[in-house]
Amino acid sequence: MAGDSVRPLAATDAGIPSTMTQGEAVGVGRLAGIVAAAAAVVLVGGIVAGQPRAWAGWLLASFGLTTAGLAGIVFVATQYAAGASWSVAFRRLPEALAAVLPVGAVAIVSLAALATSGYPWASHHEFHGGAAAQFKALWLSRPFFAVRAIAYVLVWIVFARAIVANSRRQDAQGGPEYSSRNTRLSIAFLWAFAVTFSLASFDWIMSLEPEWYSTIFAMYNFAGLFSSGLAIVVLLAVWLRSGPLATVIGDDHLHDLGKLLFAFCTFWMYIWFSQYMLIWYAHIPEETTYYVARTRGAYEPLFVANVILNWVVPFFALLRRGPKRRPSLIARVAVVVLVGRWLDLYLMIVPPFAPDGPPFAVWEVAGALALVGSAVWAIERGLRAAALVPACDPRLGESLHYHV
Amino acid sequence: MAIRGILGSFAREEDVVAATEAARERGLTILDVYTPYAVHGLDRAMGLEPSRLPWVCFLLGLAGAGLKVWFEYWASAVSWPVNVGGKPWNSLPAFVPITFEVMVLFAGVSTVVAFLWVAGLRPWRRARLPHPAVTDDRFVLLLAVTNAAIPVGSITQLLALHHALEIQERDFEEVP
Repeated sequence: MAGDSVRPLAATDAGIPSTMTQGEAVGVGRLAGIVAAAAAVVLVGGIVAGQPRAWAGWLLASFGLTTAGLAGIVFVATQYAAGASWSVAFRRLPEALAAVLPVGAVAIVSLAALATSGYPWASHHEFHGGAAAQFKALWLSRPFFAVRAIAYVLVWIVFARAIVANSRRQDAQGGPEYSSRNTRLSIAFLWAFAVTFSLASFDWIMSLEPEWYSTIFAMYNFAGLFSSGLAIVVLLAVWLRSGPLATVIGDDHLHDLGKLLFAFCTFWMYIWFSQYMLIWYAHIPEETTYYVARTRGAYEPLFVANVILNWVVPFFALLRRGPKRRPSLIARVAVVVLVGRWLDLYLMIVPPFAPDGPPFAVWEVAGALALVGSAVWAIERGLRAAALVPACDPRLGESLHYHV
Repeated sequence: MAIRGILGSFAREEDVVAATEAARERGLTILDVYTPYAVHGLDRAMGLEPSRLPWVCFLLGLAGAGLKVWFEYWASAVSWPVNVGGKPWNSLPAFVPITFEVMVLFAGVSTVVAFLWVAGLRPWRRARLPHPAVTDDRFVLLLAVTNAAIPVGSITQLLALHHALEIQERDFEEVP
Protein backbone atom coordinates (compact mmCIF):
# COMPACT_ATOMS: atom_id res chain seq x y z
CA MET A 1 0.00 0.00 0.00
CA ALA A 2 1.42 3.39 -0.95
CA GLY A 3 1.74 5.96 1.78
CA ASP A 4 -0.27 8.70 0.14
CA SER A 5 -3.28 6.55 -0.71
CA VAL A 6 -3.64 6.01 3.00
CA ARG A 7 -3.42 9.64 4.09
CA PRO A 8 -6.00 11.33 6.25
CA LEU A 9 -9.04 10.47 4.14
CA ALA A 10 -11.11 9.10 7.02
CA ALA A 11 -9.94 11.73 9.49
CA THR A 12 -10.98 14.78 7.51
CA ASP A 13 -14.27 13.16 6.48
CA ALA A 14 -15.41 12.49 10.01
CA GLY A 15 -14.42 15.98 11.17
CA ILE A 16 -11.98 14.62 13.73
CA PRO A 17 -10.47 17.16 16.10
CA SER A 18 -6.70 17.45 15.83
CA THR A 19 -5.77 18.32 19.41
CA MET A 20 -7.25 18.69 22.86
CA THR A 21 -8.42 22.21 23.47
CA GLN A 22 -10.40 21.76 26.64
CA GLY A 23 -9.31 24.48 29.04
CA GLU A 24 -10.92 22.78 32.04
CA ALA A 25 -8.83 19.67 31.49
CA VAL A 26 -5.64 21.71 31.66
CA GLY A 27 -6.86 23.25 34.92
CA VAL A 28 -7.68 19.84 36.40
CA GLY A 29 -4.28 18.53 35.31
CA ARG A 30 -2.47 21.39 36.98
CA LEU A 31 -4.47 21.10 40.19
CA ALA A 32 -3.78 17.35 40.28
CA GLY A 33 -0.09 18.05 39.77
CA ILE A 34 0.00 20.49 42.69
CA VAL A 35 -1.85 18.02 44.97
CA ALA A 36 0.55 15.24 43.95
CA ALA A 37 3.59 17.44 44.55
CA ALA A 38 2.33 18.43 48.00
CA ALA A 39 1.62 14.78 48.87
CA ALA A 40 5.08 13.80 47.63
CA VAL A 41 6.70 16.47 49.82
CA VAL A 42 4.80 15.12 52.84
CA LEU A 43 5.95 11.57 52.04
CA VAL A 44 9.58 12.61 51.54
CA GLY A 45 9.42 14.45 54.85
CA GLY A 46 8.10 11.28 56.47
CA ILE A 47 10.80 9.13 54.91
CA VAL A 48 13.54 11.51 56.03
CA ALA A 49 12.03 11.53 59.52
CA GLY A 50 12.25 7.73 59.50
CA GLN A 51 8.55 6.88 59.25
CA PRO A 52 8.24 3.38 57.74
CA ARG A 53 4.63 3.94 56.68
CA ALA A 54 5.58 7.07 54.74
CA TRP A 55 8.09 4.89 52.92
CA ALA A 56 5.32 2.35 52.24
CA GLY A 57 3.09 5.14 50.94
CA TRP A 58 5.80 6.22 48.54
CA LEU A 59 6.33 2.64 47.35
CA LEU A 60 2.58 2.19 46.82
CA ALA A 61 2.28 5.41 44.82
CA SER A 62 5.36 4.82 42.68
CA PHE A 63 4.58 1.16 41.97
CA GLY A 64 0.97 2.07 41.17
CA LEU A 65 2.12 4.79 38.76
CA THR A 66 4.73 2.57 37.11
CA THR A 67 2.22 -0.21 36.52
CA ALA A 68 -0.41 2.23 35.23
CA GLY A 69 2.06 3.64 32.71
CA LEU A 70 3.16 0.15 31.76
CA ALA A 71 -0.48 -0.86 31.26
CA GLY A 72 -0.82 1.90 28.67
CA ILE A 73 2.15 0.82 26.62
CA VAL A 74 1.42 -2.90 27.07
CA PHE A 75 -2.10 -2.31 25.73
CA VAL A 76 -0.73 -0.43 22.70
CA ALA A 77 1.87 -3.15 22.14
CA THR A 78 -0.67 -5.99 22.28
CA GLN A 79 -2.78 -4.19 19.67
CA TYR A 80 0.19 -3.71 17.32
CA ALA A 81 1.42 -7.26 17.88
CA ALA A 82 -2.01 -8.68 17.08
CA GLY A 83 -2.51 -6.39 14.08
CA ALA A 84 -5.71 -5.15 15.71
CA SER A 85 -7.63 -2.40 13.97
CA TRP A 86 -10.60 -1.87 16.31
CA SER A 87 -8.58 0.09 18.88
CA VAL A 88 -6.76 2.44 16.50
CA ALA A 89 -9.39 5.20 16.80
CA PHE A 90 -8.71 5.60 20.53
CA ARG A 91 -5.06 4.49 20.61
CA ARG A 92 -3.97 7.95 21.81
CA LEU A 93 -5.69 7.21 25.13
CA PRO A 94 -3.44 4.30 26.18
CA GLU A 95 -0.53 6.23 24.65
CA ALA A 96 -1.34 9.13 26.97
CA LEU A 97 -1.55 6.65 29.85
CA ALA A 98 2.01 5.58 28.99
CA ALA A 99 3.07 9.15 29.86
CA VAL A 100 2.61 8.12 33.51
CA LEU A 101 5.48 5.63 33.19
CA PRO A 102 8.41 8.10 33.52
CA VAL A 103 6.84 9.67 36.63
CA GLY A 104 6.48 6.29 38.32
CA ALA A 105 9.90 5.21 37.10
CA VAL A 106 11.67 8.20 38.64
CA ALA A 107 9.79 7.69 41.89
CA ILE A 108 10.55 4.00 42.19
CA VAL A 109 14.19 4.25 41.07
CA SER A 110 14.83 6.96 43.65
CA LEU A 111 13.43 4.58 46.25
CA ALA A 112 15.46 1.61 45.02
CA ALA A 113 18.67 3.59 44.73
CA LEU A 114 18.47 6.04 47.63
CA ALA A 115 16.13 4.70 50.30
CA THR A 116 15.81 0.95 50.65
CA SER A 117 15.20 1.36 54.37
CA GLY A 118 11.70 -0.15 54.21
CA TYR A 119 12.95 -3.52 52.95
CA PRO A 120 13.81 -5.88 55.81
CA TRP A 121 16.78 -7.26 53.86
CA ALA A 122 18.38 -3.81 53.60
CA SER A 123 19.36 -3.79 57.29
CA HIS A 124 21.14 -6.87 58.72
CA HIS A 125 18.60 -9.51 57.76
CA GLU A 126 19.61 -13.15 57.94
CA PHE A 127 18.12 -15.40 55.32
CA HIS A 128 17.16 -18.93 56.29
CA GLY A 129 17.75 -22.09 54.31
CA GLY A 130 21.06 -23.09 52.67
CA ALA A 131 21.75 -22.37 49.03
CA ALA A 132 18.62 -20.27 48.58
CA ALA A 133 19.72 -18.04 51.42
CA GLN A 134 23.08 -17.41 49.76
CA PHE A 135 21.42 -16.57 46.50
CA LYS A 136 18.90 -14.29 48.20
CA ALA A 137 21.63 -12.42 50.05
CA LEU A 138 23.40 -11.88 46.75
CA TRP A 139 20.26 -10.95 44.80
CA LEU A 140 19.00 -8.59 47.48
CA SER A 141 22.20 -6.61 47.95
CA ARG A 142 21.68 -2.89 47.70
CA PRO A 143 23.89 -1.98 44.71
CA PHE A 144 22.62 -4.91 42.61
CA PHE A 145 19.03 -4.05 43.56
CA ALA A 146 19.49 -0.44 42.44
CA VAL A 147 21.19 -1.41 39.18
CA ARG A 148 18.38 -3.84 38.37
CA ALA A 149 15.71 -1.23 39.07
CA ILE A 150 17.42 1.23 36.73
CA ALA A 151 17.77 -1.47 34.06
CA TYR A 152 14.06 -2.48 34.15
CA VAL A 153 12.91 1.09 34.01
CA LEU A 154 15.29 1.97 31.17
CA VAL A 155 14.06 -0.96 29.07
CA TRP A 156 10.42 0.08 29.54
CA ILE A 157 10.97 3.77 28.89
CA VAL A 158 13.10 3.21 25.79
CA PHE A 159 10.49 0.90 24.27
CA ALA A 160 7.55 3.11 25.31
CA ARG A 161 9.17 6.23 23.89
CA ALA A 162 10.07 4.51 20.63
CA ILE A 163 6.56 3.11 20.09
CA VAL A 164 4.77 6.34 20.98
CA ALA A 165 7.21 8.44 18.94
CA ASN A 166 6.68 6.24 15.88
CA SER A 167 2.93 6.51 16.26
CA ARG A 168 3.16 10.31 16.45
CA ARG A 169 5.61 10.58 13.58
CA GLN A 170 3.09 8.74 11.44
CA ASP A 171 0.66 11.65 11.97
CA ALA A 172 3.03 14.00 10.21
CA GLN A 173 4.61 11.73 7.61
CA GLY A 174 1.88 9.20 6.88
CA GLY A 175 2.89 5.84 5.54
CA PRO A 176 2.35 2.30 6.80
CA GLU A 177 6.05 1.68 7.49
CA TYR A 178 5.63 3.27 10.95
CA SER A 179 2.94 0.72 11.76
CA SER A 180 5.08 -2.21 10.72
CA ARG A 181 8.05 -0.82 12.64
CA ASN A 182 5.85 -0.52 15.72
CA THR A 183 4.62 -4.08 15.26
CA ARG A 184 8.20 -5.35 15.47
CA LEU A 185 9.00 -3.07 18.40
CA SER A 186 5.84 -4.20 20.21
CA ILE A 187 6.65 -7.88 19.92
CA ALA A 188 10.17 -7.27 21.24
CA PHE A 189 8.76 -5.12 24.04
CA LEU A 190 6.23 -7.73 25.15
CA TRP A 191 9.03 -10.30 25.48
CA ALA A 192 11.22 -7.88 27.41
CA PHE A 193 8.28 -6.75 29.54
CA ALA A 194 7.35 -10.30 30.56
CA VAL A 195 10.82 -10.94 31.95
CA THR A 196 11.59 -7.53 33.45
CA PHE A 197 8.19 -6.99 35.02
CA SER A 198 8.25 -10.43 36.66
CA LEU A 199 11.61 -9.65 38.23
CA ALA A 200 10.51 -6.13 39.16
CA SER A 201 7.43 -7.39 41.02
CA PHE A 202 9.62 -9.90 42.91
CA ASP A 203 12.16 -7.18 43.69
CA TRP A 204 9.93 -4.31 44.69
CA ILE A 205 6.93 -5.97 46.30
CA MET A 206 7.67 -9.60 47.17
CA SER A 207 10.98 -8.74 48.86
CA LEU A 208 9.02 -6.77 51.47
CA GLU A 209 8.67 -10.21 53.06
CA PRO A 210 11.92 -11.79 51.89
CA GLU A 211 11.26 -15.23 53.42
CA TRP A 212 7.92 -15.55 51.65
CA TYR A 213 7.61 -16.53 48.02
CA SER A 214 4.95 -17.24 45.45
CA THR A 215 5.89 -18.25 41.93
CA ILE A 216 2.64 -16.85 40.50
CA PHE A 217 3.25 -13.43 42.07
CA ALA A 218 4.43 -11.79 38.84
CA MET A 219 1.38 -13.00 36.96
CA TYR A 220 -0.83 -11.77 39.78
CA ASN A 221 0.75 -8.34 39.51
CA PHE A 222 0.35 -8.34 35.75
CA ALA A 223 -3.36 -9.14 36.11
CA GLY A 224 -3.83 -6.15 38.41
CA LEU A 225 -1.74 -3.96 36.13
CA PHE A 226 -3.77 -4.76 33.05
CA SER A 227 -7.28 -4.68 34.53
CA SER A 228 -6.62 -1.31 36.18
CA GLY A 229 -5.01 0.03 32.99
CA LEU A 230 -8.11 -0.98 31.04
CA ALA A 231 -10.27 0.75 33.65
CA ILE A 232 -8.33 3.99 33.11
CA VAL A 233 -8.68 3.69 29.32
CA VAL A 234 -12.44 3.11 29.76
CA LEU A 235 -12.73 6.24 31.91
CA LEU A 236 -10.77 8.32 29.38
CA ALA A 237 -12.88 6.95 26.53
CA VAL A 238 -16.16 7.76 28.28
CA TRP A 239 -14.90 11.25 29.15
CA LEU A 240 -13.60 12.11 25.66
CA ARG A 241 -16.69 10.62 23.99
CA SER A 242 -18.73 13.38 25.56
CA GLY A 243 -16.31 15.90 24.04
CA PRO A 244 -13.82 15.91 21.19
CA LEU A 245 -14.05 12.18 20.34
CA ALA A 246 -17.85 12.04 20.11
CA THR A 247 -17.74 11.01 16.45
CA VAL A 248 -14.78 8.67 16.89
CA ILE A 249 -15.42 6.35 19.84
CA GLY A 250 -18.64 4.47 19.21
CA ASP A 251 -20.73 2.17 21.37
CA ASP A 252 -18.99 -0.78 19.77
CA HIS A 253 -15.56 0.41 20.88
CA LEU A 254 -16.89 0.83 24.41
CA HIS A 255 -18.50 -2.60 24.23
CA ASP A 256 -15.20 -4.28 23.39
CA LEU A 257 -13.30 -2.31 26.04
CA GLY A 258 -15.97 -3.50 28.45
CA LYS A 259 -15.42 -7.10 27.37
CA LEU A 260 -11.68 -6.75 27.95
CA LEU A 261 -12.24 -5.17 31.37
CA PHE A 262 -14.64 -7.98 32.26
CA ALA A 263 -12.19 -10.61 31.03
CA PHE A 264 -9.17 -9.24 32.84
CA CYS A 265 -11.02 -8.71 36.12
CA THR A 266 -11.94 -12.38 35.88
CA PHE A 267 -8.35 -13.22 35.00
CA TRP A 268 -7.23 -11.34 38.12
CA MET A 269 -9.65 -13.41 40.18
CA TYR A 270 -8.38 -16.61 38.59
CA ILE A 271 -4.77 -15.77 39.46
CA TRP A 272 -5.72 -14.45 42.91
CA PHE A 273 -7.44 -17.73 43.70
CA SER A 274 -4.65 -19.82 42.19
CA GLN A 275 -2.19 -18.19 44.56
CA TYR A 276 -4.52 -18.37 47.55
CA MET A 277 -5.66 -21.96 47.06
CA LEU A 278 -2.22 -23.50 46.61
CA ILE A 279 -0.94 -21.81 49.75
CA TRP A 280 -4.10 -22.68 51.70
CA TYR A 281 -3.95 -26.30 50.53
CA ALA A 282 -0.25 -26.94 51.14
CA HIS A 283 -0.39 -25.21 54.51
CA ILE A 284 3.40 -24.67 54.73
CA PRO A 285 4.21 -22.17 57.48
CA GLU A 286 6.69 -20.16 55.40
CA GLU A 287 4.02 -19.63 52.73
CA THR A 288 0.94 -19.08 54.87
CA THR A 289 2.50 -16.14 56.75
CA TYR A 290 1.48 -13.89 53.85
CA TYR A 291 -2.20 -14.69 54.24
CA VAL A 292 -2.09 -14.84 58.02
CA ALA A 293 -0.89 -11.23 58.06
CA ARG A 294 -3.61 -10.20 55.60
CA THR A 295 -6.58 -11.89 57.23
CA ARG A 296 -5.78 -10.98 60.81
CA GLY A 297 -8.21 -8.73 62.67
CA ALA A 298 -9.46 -5.71 60.77
CA TYR A 299 -7.50 -6.75 57.67
CA GLU A 300 -10.04 -9.49 56.97
CA PRO A 301 -12.89 -7.24 55.76
CA LEU A 302 -10.40 -5.49 53.44
CA PHE A 303 -9.19 -8.88 52.21
CA VAL A 304 -12.77 -9.75 51.27
CA ALA A 305 -13.46 -6.26 49.87
CA ASN A 306 -10.47 -6.67 47.55
CA VAL A 307 -12.17 -9.62 45.84
CA ILE A 308 -15.52 -7.85 45.75
CA LEU A 309 -14.16 -4.65 44.17
CA ASN A 310 -11.82 -6.32 41.70
CA TRP A 311 -14.02 -9.19 40.59
CA VAL A 312 -17.54 -9.56 42.03
CA VAL A 313 -18.69 -6.05 41.09
CA PRO A 314 -17.16 -5.87 37.58
CA PHE A 315 -18.18 -9.47 36.81
CA PHE A 316 -21.86 -9.15 37.63
CA ALA A 317 -22.14 -5.53 36.46
CA LEU A 318 -20.61 -6.21 33.05
CA LEU A 319 -21.95 -9.74 32.46
CA ARG A 320 -24.76 -8.63 30.17
CA ARG A 321 -24.46 -6.82 26.88
CA GLY A 322 -26.34 -3.63 27.77
CA PRO A 323 -24.15 -2.38 30.62
CA LYS A 324 -20.98 -2.68 28.52
CA ARG A 325 -22.51 -0.17 26.10
CA ARG A 326 -23.82 2.25 28.75
CA PRO A 327 -21.13 4.89 29.34
CA SER A 328 -22.38 5.94 32.77
CA LEU A 329 -22.44 2.36 34.07
CA ILE A 330 -19.15 1.15 32.63
CA ALA A 331 -17.45 4.31 33.94
CA ARG A 332 -18.72 3.54 37.43
CA VAL A 333 -17.46 -0.02 37.19
CA ALA A 334 -14.07 1.34 36.08
CA VAL A 335 -13.94 3.56 39.17
CA VAL A 336 -14.74 0.55 41.37
CA VAL A 337 -11.93 -1.42 39.71
CA LEU A 338 -9.49 1.46 40.30
CA VAL A 339 -10.43 1.69 43.98
CA GLY A 340 -9.93 -2.08 44.05
CA ARG A 341 -6.52 -1.64 42.47
CA TRP A 342 -5.50 0.75 45.23
CA LEU A 343 -6.78 -1.68 47.87
CA ASP A 344 -4.94 -4.57 46.19
CA LEU A 345 -1.66 -2.61 46.30
CA TYR A 346 -2.41 -1.59 49.89
CA LEU A 347 -2.87 -5.22 50.93
CA MET A 348 0.33 -6.22 49.16
CA ILE A 349 2.48 -3.45 50.63
CA VAL A 350 1.11 -2.13 53.93
CA PRO A 351 0.55 -5.19 56.24
CA PRO A 352 4.28 -5.80 56.93
CA PHE A 353 4.50 -2.20 58.15
CA ALA A 354 1.39 -2.34 60.32
CA PRO A 355 0.87 -5.90 61.54
CA ASP A 356 -1.75 -4.96 64.13
CA GLY A 357 -4.38 -3.52 61.85
CA PRO A 358 -4.93 -1.58 58.65
CA PRO A 359 -3.84 2.03 59.08
CA PHE A 360 -5.40 4.88 57.17
CA ALA A 361 -3.90 8.15 58.25
CA VAL A 362 -1.70 10.90 56.85
CA TRP A 363 0.84 8.61 55.12
CA GLU A 364 -1.76 6.42 53.45
CA VAL A 365 -3.78 9.44 52.33
CA ALA A 366 -0.64 11.15 51.04
CA GLY A 367 0.30 7.99 49.15
CA ALA A 368 -3.14 7.74 47.54
CA LEU A 369 -3.14 11.46 46.62
CA ALA A 370 0.35 11.23 45.15
CA LEU A 371 -0.76 8.23 43.07
CA VAL A 372 -3.99 9.70 41.73
CA GLY A 373 -2.67 13.24 41.39
CA SER A 374 0.44 12.38 39.41
CA ALA A 375 -1.52 9.98 37.20
CA VAL A 376 -4.09 12.64 36.30
CA TRP A 377 -1.37 15.25 35.77
CA ALA A 378 0.70 13.00 33.49
CA ILE A 379 -2.28 11.66 31.51
CA GLU A 380 -3.59 15.16 30.86
CA ARG A 381 -0.16 16.22 29.56
CA GLY A 382 0.05 13.04 27.52
CA LEU A 383 -3.30 13.79 25.88
CA ARG A 384 -2.17 17.28 24.93
CA ALA A 385 1.18 16.10 23.53
CA ALA A 386 -0.28 14.77 20.28
CA ALA A 387 -3.37 14.70 18.08
CA LEU A 388 -6.22 12.79 19.71
CA VAL A 389 -6.65 10.52 16.71
CA PRO A 390 -3.79 8.88 14.80
CA ALA A 391 -5.11 10.31 11.54
CA CYS A 392 -2.60 8.62 9.20
CA ASP A 393 -2.72 5.13 10.63
CA PRO A 394 -3.63 2.79 7.77
CA ARG A 395 -6.05 0.92 10.04
CA LEU A 396 -7.94 4.02 11.17
CA GLY A 397 -10.68 3.76 8.54
CA GLU A 398 -11.40 0.20 9.58
CA SER A 399 -11.51 1.25 13.22
CA LEU A 400 -13.94 4.11 12.59
CA HIS A 401 -16.37 1.70 10.89
CA TYR A 402 -16.03 -0.90 13.56
CA HIS A 403 -19.03 -3.10 14.38
CA VAL A 404 -19.18 -5.72 17.08
CA MET B 1 -47.11 -24.92 3.81
CA ALA B 2 -45.84 -22.91 0.92
CA ILE B 3 -45.37 -19.20 1.39
CA ARG B 4 -45.68 -16.68 -1.38
CA GLY B 5 -42.54 -14.59 -1.36
CA ILE B 6 -40.35 -12.24 -3.28
CA LEU B 7 -36.64 -12.89 -3.50
CA GLY B 8 -34.04 -10.26 -4.26
CA SER B 9 -30.42 -11.22 -4.73
CA PHE B 10 -27.57 -8.78 -4.29
CA ALA B 11 -23.87 -8.73 -5.10
CA ARG B 12 -22.72 -6.55 -2.19
CA GLU B 13 -23.33 -6.84 1.55
CA GLU B 14 -23.93 -3.09 1.87
CA ASP B 15 -26.83 -3.39 -0.59
CA VAL B 16 -28.52 -6.28 1.20
CA VAL B 17 -28.19 -4.50 4.57
CA ALA B 18 -29.64 -1.28 3.15
CA ALA B 19 -32.47 -3.14 1.38
CA THR B 20 -33.29 -5.07 4.56
CA GLU B 21 -33.40 -1.86 6.55
CA ALA B 22 -35.65 -0.20 3.97
CA ALA B 23 -37.97 -3.23 3.90
CA ARG B 24 -38.31 -3.22 7.67
CA GLU B 25 -39.05 0.50 7.70
CA ARG B 26 -41.75 -0.04 5.06
CA GLY B 27 -43.34 -2.63 7.33
CA LEU B 28 -42.70 -5.59 5.03
CA THR B 29 -42.43 -9.09 6.48
CA ILE B 30 -38.80 -10.21 6.24
CA LEU B 31 -38.80 -14.01 6.00
CA ASP B 32 -35.03 -14.31 6.14
CA VAL B 33 -31.76 -13.03 4.76
CA TYR B 34 -29.21 -15.48 3.34
CA THR B 35 -25.53 -14.55 3.20
CA PRO B 36 -22.40 -16.55 2.38
CA TYR B 37 -20.73 -15.28 5.57
CA ALA B 38 -21.75 -13.48 8.77
CA VAL B 39 -22.61 -9.86 7.93
CA HIS B 40 -22.19 -7.38 10.79
CA GLY B 41 -25.17 -5.16 11.47
CA LEU B 42 -27.62 -7.42 9.64
CA ASP B 43 -29.33 -8.47 12.87
CA ARG B 44 -30.06 -4.81 13.60
CA ALA B 45 -31.26 -4.21 10.03
CA MET B 46 -33.65 -7.20 10.29
CA GLY B 47 -34.87 -6.00 13.68
CA LEU B 48 -34.05 -9.34 15.30
CA GLU B 49 -34.56 -9.73 19.03
CA PRO B 50 -31.34 -10.24 21.03
CA SER B 51 -30.45 -13.92 21.29
CA ARG B 52 -31.70 -15.80 24.35
CA LEU B 53 -28.73 -18.18 24.23
CA PRO B 54 -26.79 -16.22 26.93
CA TRP B 55 -29.57 -17.11 29.37
CA VAL B 56 -29.20 -20.82 28.59
CA CYS B 57 -25.44 -20.43 29.07
CA PHE B 58 -25.80 -18.54 32.37
CA LEU B 59 -28.51 -20.70 33.95
CA LEU B 60 -27.00 -24.04 32.93
CA GLY B 61 -23.58 -22.82 34.09
CA LEU B 62 -25.12 -21.92 37.42
CA ALA B 63 -26.87 -25.29 37.61
CA GLY B 64 -23.63 -27.14 36.79
CA ALA B 65 -21.70 -25.22 39.44
CA GLY B 66 -24.44 -25.76 42.03
CA LEU B 67 -24.72 -29.49 41.32
CA LYS B 68 -20.99 -29.94 41.52
CA VAL B 69 -20.63 -28.09 44.82
CA TRP B 70 -23.43 -30.23 46.24
CA PHE B 71 -21.84 -33.45 44.93
CA GLU B 72 -18.42 -32.57 46.31
CA TYR B 73 -19.94 -31.69 49.65
CA TRP B 74 -21.89 -34.95 49.69
CA ALA B 75 -18.90 -37.04 48.59
CA SER B 76 -16.27 -35.55 50.89
CA ALA B 77 -18.29 -34.56 53.95
CA VAL B 78 -21.28 -36.93 54.06
CA SER B 79 -20.70 -40.17 52.18
CA TRP B 80 -16.98 -40.79 52.67
CA PRO B 81 -15.18 -38.20 54.80
CA VAL B 82 -11.40 -38.33 54.34
CA ASN B 83 -9.00 -36.32 56.45
CA VAL B 84 -6.79 -34.27 54.11
CA GLY B 85 -4.13 -32.30 55.95
CA GLY B 86 -6.43 -31.76 58.93
CA LYS B 87 -8.77 -29.59 56.89
CA PRO B 88 -12.52 -29.52 57.54
CA TRP B 89 -14.62 -32.11 55.65
CA ASN B 90 -16.44 -29.37 53.83
CA SER B 91 -13.43 -27.45 52.45
CA LEU B 92 -14.94 -25.08 49.92
CA PRO B 93 -11.70 -23.65 48.44
CA ALA B 94 -10.67 -27.17 47.44
CA PHE B 95 -13.94 -27.61 45.52
CA VAL B 96 -13.52 -24.47 43.43
CA PRO B 97 -11.33 -25.77 40.55
CA ILE B 98 -13.64 -28.72 39.78
CA THR B 99 -16.72 -26.56 40.24
CA PHE B 100 -15.28 -24.10 37.77
CA GLU B 101 -14.56 -26.83 35.20
CA VAL B 102 -18.01 -28.38 35.51
CA MET B 103 -19.62 -24.96 35.23
CA VAL B 104 -17.72 -24.31 31.99
CA LEU B 105 -18.63 -27.77 30.70
CA PHE B 106 -22.34 -27.36 31.44
CA ALA B 107 -22.46 -23.80 30.11
CA GLY B 108 -20.50 -24.60 26.96
CA VAL B 109 -22.16 -27.87 25.97
CA SER B 110 -25.65 -26.66 26.82
CA THR B 111 -25.18 -23.53 24.72
CA VAL B 112 -24.13 -25.57 21.70
CA VAL B 113 -27.00 -28.04 22.15
CA ALA B 114 -29.51 -25.22 22.65
CA PHE B 115 -28.23 -23.49 19.54
CA LEU B 116 -28.53 -26.64 17.41
CA TRP B 117 -32.01 -27.25 18.83
CA VAL B 118 -33.29 -23.72 18.23
CA ALA B 119 -31.71 -23.47 14.78
CA GLY B 120 -33.24 -26.85 13.86
CA LEU B 121 -29.87 -28.24 12.80
CA ARG B 122 -30.10 -32.02 12.70
CA PRO B 123 -27.84 -34.37 10.77
CA TRP B 124 -30.66 -35.58 8.49
CA ARG B 125 -31.91 -32.08 7.83
CA ARG B 126 -31.61 -31.01 4.16
CA ALA B 127 -31.00 -27.34 3.55
CA ARG B 128 -33.41 -25.82 1.03
CA LEU B 129 -31.71 -22.77 -0.30
CA PRO B 130 -33.81 -20.06 -1.90
CA HIS B 131 -31.01 -19.45 -4.37
CA PRO B 132 -27.99 -21.68 -5.06
CA ALA B 133 -25.52 -18.78 -5.08
CA VAL B 134 -26.03 -17.86 -1.39
CA THR B 135 -23.29 -20.33 -0.55
CA ASP B 136 -21.02 -18.63 -3.06
CA ASP B 137 -21.09 -14.86 -3.56
CA ARG B 138 -24.70 -13.70 -3.43
CA PHE B 139 -26.78 -12.11 -0.69
CA VAL B 140 -30.49 -12.90 -0.74
CA LEU B 141 -33.33 -11.03 0.94
CA LEU B 142 -36.59 -12.95 1.17
CA LEU B 143 -39.80 -10.96 1.69
CA ALA B 144 -43.30 -12.34 2.22
CA VAL B 145 -46.21 -11.26 0.02
CA THR B 146 -48.88 -11.25 2.69
CA ASN B 147 -49.91 -7.70 3.21
CA ALA B 148 -52.46 -6.69 0.59
CA ALA B 149 -51.90 -3.05 1.43
CA ILE B 150 -48.43 -3.18 -0.08
CA PRO B 151 -48.56 -4.02 -3.78
CA VAL B 152 -46.02 -6.42 -5.26
CA GLY B 153 -44.86 -3.70 -7.63
CA SER B 154 -43.67 -1.47 -4.82
CA ILE B 155 -41.74 -4.37 -3.24
CA THR B 156 -39.89 -5.12 -6.47
CA GLN B 157 -39.25 -1.42 -6.86
CA LEU B 158 -37.69 -1.30 -3.40
CA LEU B 159 -35.43 -4.24 -4.24
CA ALA B 160 -34.43 -2.72 -7.58
CA LEU B 161 -33.65 0.57 -5.89
CA HIS B 162 -30.99 -1.21 -3.83
CA HIS B 163 -29.31 -2.73 -6.88
CA ALA B 164 -30.91 -6.16 -6.75
CA LEU B 165 -29.42 -8.31 -9.50
CA GLU B 166 -32.38 -10.65 -9.65
CA ILE B 167 -35.96 -10.43 -8.42
CA GLN B 168 -38.24 -13.48 -8.34
CA GLU B 169 -41.78 -13.89 -7.08
CA ARG B 170 -42.67 -17.48 -6.31
CA ASP B 171 -43.83 -19.98 -3.68
CA PHE B 172 -41.24 -21.06 -1.13
CA GLU B 173 -41.59 -24.54 0.31
CA GLU B 174 -39.85 -24.08 3.59
CA VAL B 175 -38.72 -21.02 5.42
CA PRO B 176 -37.08 -21.67 8.78
